[in-house]
Amino acid sequence: MPRKPVPTVASVVEPTRRQFLKKTAIATGAVISAPTIIPSSALGLDGAVPPSDRIVVGGIGIGNRGGYDLGCFLQQKDVQFVAVCDVKEKRRTAIKKRVDEHHSNDQCATYSDFRELLDRSDIDAVLIATGPNWHATAAMTAAKAGKDMYCEKPVTKNISQSLILADTMRRTGRVFQAGTQRRNLPHFAFACELARTGKLGRLKKVYAHPAGMQAMMSGWLVPETEPDAQVVDWNMYLGPAAWRPFNKKLLDGFNFEKGGGLVGGGVLEWGSHCVDLCQWAVDDCLPPVEYNAPKNGELVTRYENGTELIFREKGWIPLGSCPVRFEGENGWVEAGDSGKMVLSSPELLAGRQVDQIGGYPATFHVRDFLDCVKSRRQPKGNAVAACNAHIACHAANIALHLGRQVKYDNVKHEFINDEQANRLRSEALREPWRL
Amino acid sequence: MKSIPTPLLAIACGVTICILSMPPLVAQQPRDSATEEKKLLAVLQSDAPAAQKAITCKELAIYGSSAAVPELAKLLPNPQLSSWARIPLEVIPASESDDALRSAAESLQGQLLVGVINSIGVRRDANSVPILITRLEDNDQQVASAAAVALGKIGNNAATESLRTTLRIGPEGLRSVVAEACVLCAERRLLTGNAPEAAEIYDQVRNADVPLQRIVESTRGAILARGQEGVPLLVETLRSPEKKLRQLALATVREFPGNQVDAALAAELKQVSPERAAWIIQAMADRPETVVLPAILEAVEQNNKQLQASAIEALRRVGDESCLASLLGVATGNDPDLRQVAKETLAELPGDRVDGKIVAMLPTAKGQQYPVLLHLVAQRRIDAVPQVVRALDSQDAIVRQAALVALGQTVSLDRLSLLVTSVTAPRHSEDSEIARQSLRAACVRMPDREACASQLSKAISNASTSTQTTILEILAEMGGQAALETVSAAAMSADAQQQDDGSRLLGKWNSVAAAPSLMSLATSGPTAKYRLRGLRGYIGVARKFPMPESQRVEMCRKAFDQATRIDEQKLVLDVLKIHPSAEGLALALRAQKVSALKSDATLAASQIAQKLGGKGIDIAAMLKAGGIKTVKLQIIRAEYGADGIVKDVTEIVRKRAGSVPWIALPAGGYNTSFGGDPVPGQVKQLTIQYLMDGKQGTASFAENAPILLPLPK
Repeated sequence: MPRKPVPTVASVVEPTRRQFLKKTAIATGAVISAPTIIPSSALGLDGAVPPSDRIVVGGIGIGNRGGYDLGCFLQQKDVQFVAVCDVKEKRRTAIKKRVDEHHSNDQCATYSDFRELLDRSDIDAVLIATGPNWHATAAMTAAKAGKDMYCEKPVTKNISQSLILADTMRRTGRVFQAGTQRRNLPHFAFACELARTGKLGRLKKVYAHPAGMQAMMSGWLVPETEPDAQVVDWNMYLGPAAWRPFNKKLLDGFNFEKGGGLVGGGVLEWGSHCVDLCQWAVDDCLPPVEYNAPKNGELVTRYENGTELIFREKGWIPLGSCPVRFEGENGWVEAGDSGKMVLSSPELLAGRQVDQIGGYPATFHVRDFLDCVKSRRQPKGNAVAACNAHIACHAANIALHLGRQVKYDNVKHEFINDEQANRLRSEALREPWRL
Repeated sequence: MKSIPTPLLAIACGVTICILSMPPLVAQQPRDSATEEKKLLAVLQSDAPAAQKAITCKELAIYGSSAAVPELAKLLPNPQLSSWARIPLEVIPASESDDALRSAAESLQGQLLVGVINSIGVRRDANSVPILITRLEDNDQQVASAAAVALGKIGNNAATESLRTTLRIGPEGLRSVVAEACVLCAERRLLTGNAPEAAEIYDQVRNADVPLQRIVESTRGAILARGQEGVPLLVETLRSPEKKLRQLALATVREFPGNQVDAALAAELKQVSPERAAWIIQAMADRPETVVLPAILEAVEQNNKQLQASAIEALRRVGDESCLASLLGVATGNDPDLRQVAKETLAELPGDRVDGKIVAMLPTAKGQQYPVLLHLVAQRRIDAVPQVVRALDSQDAIVRQAALVALGQTVSLDRLSLLVTSVTAPRHSEDSEIARQSLRAACVRMPDREACASQLSKAISNASTSTQTTILEILAEMGGQAALETVSAAAMSADAQQQDDGSRLLGKWNSVAAAPSLMSLATSGPTAKYRLRGLRGYIGVARKFPMPESQRVEMCRKAFDQATRIDEQKLVLDVLKIHPSAEGLALALRAQKVSALKSDATLAASQIAQKLGGKGIDIAAMLKAGGIKTVKLQIIRAEYGADGIVKDVTEIVRKRAGSVPWIALPAGGYNTSFGGDPVPGQVKQLTIQYLMDGKQGTASFAENAPILLPLPK
């Protein structure tokens, strides 16, 4: 049966933003890193950011989600946005207009090939918000070009990409922030902290919402007339995805039927949101070692220490999308995108105030990234954390696709005595792309 | 034309094909690779469209063996299918795959050749090194670059030597990618314990004429490969005029082993500008095991605000009791920004002895330091009640209020009366609000909730009206049986304010335990307003909380019978829709008899029935029993899809049609019921042509909508 919330004492709470910022800074030192902790006005700069402290940013693939991220970047006074790359002419033009208006100039350059943007030595960091087929390849290409990056999720298409991503960021010394903005949202951060710091007792189960459990393989859609490359560069749009003919349905919206890997369900797409939080709750340890086929709407996985990570479709307290639930021996907490959470006991609040946080701010997450670009600390959605969370999603998808249990060896990074599963760890990229 | 076995779901759409390979939806035995491979190879050997061959390649990645390699190799020169063919060729663990890729690497040109070389790199095929070395000199720079990276991934002696030579004497255009490959070779040596050779390679790269990012990567490697002897290079890099190299050094500090680097960093603080020192301190604080704390403490005392702020913030991570005096000095100093940073650091200052030292300072604390220390007692939740209580007698309101806050965070049940009295009989009116907040903070964290609630409840009778409201609100936040009884009694009392407070708080109660009280309020509350509040709260409990479905339906039934307005009856129907059950369906059908509710109840019934479909419940019988008219239904055609891509689902729908105008699908949504998603990413529609009682009709349903067929006109 689907797991039901325990009917016991519960409090719906919304931690305050201020408390969160303080707590986050304490936990990581990154959100408000000390050298930038003093307002520039206090340093005699009257609110201005000196050019030497500005971070020069370019955008790659700025559509709907990217447009939202862009807004968060533009809010930061130390960001100078100078270039946009998109395979779609309309988007390039629209983003240039927006950026130029913001900076009151006409300096935002446009590109249809992101390698030209990466060639610019004045750009420090890039925002990558392409389709998911591009995320890992673009991120690693950017790292090798010496750029730091904020990269939207899901970050990778398979286990191998996840591991190579973490290695590449380490080797190149770049700062990588996955677009897992919930790591910088107050109530999620608080819920994860309760789990991570033992306030719930020994963790028994962490739950993630997959929003659909299917793992299919994608093919071609009906061929349509390919537009002029200046209007839509289909070849660059496909990028590392195996070739297929142009079809406009692949161009827009939440369509994940492109770019390889296992697709069609939410285990990876939503997992990169919810499983990432579960991973944070278990202190970003290595991913689970056992993954079972789904049963009664639950796909149960187990960590080395016995804690279960459960992809669960139903049984959630209505707290909005992207719900997570952490159960320990002494208590539990559940949180969702509404900004609220429910706890087994008010004592878990430790005197915190109930207040409305409002909004859906990825701004904190972007700020975390920018501060780490300066300090060279690891941001909350760093490449190793993203790697582990994504491996958990990919391995669950493999169990789902094969319809049976698989066991994963976190040292060898392979499935144990399971050649079929092992073959799904990676997927060839279309020429000329490589990792 | 050969027949095409279809382990894949193929959806014909005119002359084009859209293909999805479907996964199993339930646990199953592993599929036999040989059997699957045979079927898949038959597709590749047939005249199947390229689209079908593409997805077949992907399936062969799981099930293919050396037997599949020849067919896959034939696709490597095909611009449309080459990338698909390399998917299985990269993962089939047979030497035949290597042979095929090597062979293609000798014959292909351009981008397809680049793809093949990339796949060789992924497989790390050492036998391909001679071919790759040849390709390293290819006139096509993309090919040469791919060969360089593939050699770097293989990283054996021959590959490494070739790359190092090319770095020395090769063309300028290749230097960056060759340097990238050399770094891969060096990394492999480092991983296998050959640090000296790794350092040699890293040094060659960082001294070569290559782009800055290659120097960044090789410098990191050169520092780490040297072990403790890498400290001087690390310090040198910290001093670099090149920003990216300084940044690299800051990152490398955080992964550098041992403790020699900490002393070097501490010394470096005195050599660099305050701005650079501020960043170095942040890196030092990320090495909590080996950090040189006195160096950071010294920075706290420097006359540079940026440096001080960095040092104070760093102490949050690495400070201890030895930092208390300095931090308290800043926390009570003149600079408001630094004061704030210092207070926040004090609240989190690590170290087992910090709390004890704070308690020891309290009896003699004076001036601005006194409230700061009391706030630390609160923030750190230090058990120091006797010392805090003394502060309640202070003439300074700031000190008294800080003491109240501290008590709220630290007092135990046996001393709770201190705070209760501060609320019910405050000695200083300006402390009242703080006292209330502190009482609340204390009560919600008490382990013995019932005992705490009892103590609080007793205080109500002697409290002012506004204090009564405060106490009731605290009780509601605490929850539990004693609190519930007190709040319920208030709702039913003769006091108008208590009626309002009690009914309001009961309506928001956070557990199902409030249901009896709410129903009692609904049936015999003091006024109509509160009876309605009780009923709505009762329905809210049925809606929100987990409980056995039979209990929920019983609650809904009671609420429905108690409701005198359509609005509340509709709320009950909403609950039934959210929590579908057979009993709930029966109640929804019963509600159809209320004429003003008929359409809402019918819609609710159909939605419940839809959700219950496939759960072994005879929905048709229930619908009939509920008064849904029996019809003669014949399905003519049913299609599911979007934008002209549709799937014929006539047979599936036909099997589900019965003698009522409602069609229950097996389980889950339309995609599951109809064997897959015909147009992923699009909102689809189900269109049914049918005959009902001899009349022809057509009805369309949005994806996953309940299928209730209207009677054709």
